[in-house]
Amino acid sequence: MSGRSVPHAHPATTEYEFANPSRLGEQRFGEGLLPEEILTPTLYHGYYVRPRATGAGEGSRAGASELRLSEGKFQAFLDVSHFTPDEVTVRTVDNLLEVSARHPQRLDRHGFVSREFCRTYVLPADVDPWRVRAALSHDGILNLEAPRGGRHLDTEVNEVYISLLPAPPDPEEEEEATRVEA
Amino acid sequence: MAKIILRHLIETPVRYEEEFEARGLEDCRLDHALYALPGPTTVDRRKARAAQVPPVDSEAEMLAQAGKSHFQILLDVVQFLPEDIIIQTFEGWLLIKAQHGTRMDEHGFISRSFTRQYKLPDGIETKDLSAILCHDGILVVEVKDPVGTQ
Repeated sequence: MSGRSVPHAHPATTEYEFANPSRLGEQRFGEGLLPEEILTPTLYHGYYVRPRATGAGEGSRAGASELRLSEGKFQAFLDVSHFTPDEVTVRTVDNLLEVSARHPQRLDRHGFVSREFCRTYVLPADVDPWRVRAALSHDGILNLEAPRGGRHLDTEVNEVYISLLPAPPDPEEEEEATRVEA
Repeated sequence: MAKIILRHLIETPVRYEEEFEARGLEDCRLDHALYALPGPTTVDRRKARAAQVPPVDSEAEMLAQAGKSHFQILLDVVQFLPEDIIIQTFEGWLLIKAQHGTRMDEHGFISRSFTRQYKLPDGIETKDLSAILCHDGILVVEVKDPVGTQ
């Protein structure tokens, strides 16, 4: 865990909305580019960036993640279209839902490439990790689903007893006491 | 296996020097930063060049650049830090590896890695190549001095 790239924000603010979008796009990685695919530079937050003309073609949504948290269920969609079904594994570790995928070297339109990624979702506290279901659609979108409310969220309250420690003896008082004795 | 040193250059428009020389290099410093890396204008220049050279099939972009002076690779590595990227040459192949460890994003945690391989044209060695990582995440590996080798 090398760092945090998401700004902290209070859940009731618009900053939080922007920092926690339900859809994450632009998740492709290891993609080659053709010079024609780089568009005219534009200003973004004071920096010049060059948008990429990837279009809506095959693989342009690869890696995109969508989270839907409703009352009744936890649902996540993950585009794993770069990988074949047997190259994708889904598992839960405690309350973490891990999707990992790797494919060996293969040829695409830019050359040879091998890829690997691991995305981890944090399951809400009321989701039972054993009830997570995964389904992969024909166009490579992984649908992860789990019902919510399967767990009791009763808070366990334990009042902790505070023990009082005796005050340390005052050195001046002790001195006086020895003088009186003398 | 030999490593290629990765340069972080925004303001070194070697390729465009000839274009800017007429306008005065100091006067268009901002344009330098903009054009330091291939953008829309590169296409025009290549097309102009292709007009002189016999026309080649645009399908095989890499092969079209097989002429020693044209070898160039663009790679989108926007999710990776400069230190995550390793560029190597090995027996006539160019290897670009990038890997980043688990990091937090808006939906949880993510780690990624990929390896890309390109066949280098004959006669191209490690010392002929240069790599530039632009601030908007485009990695360019190309032959160092395209003008000089022509």
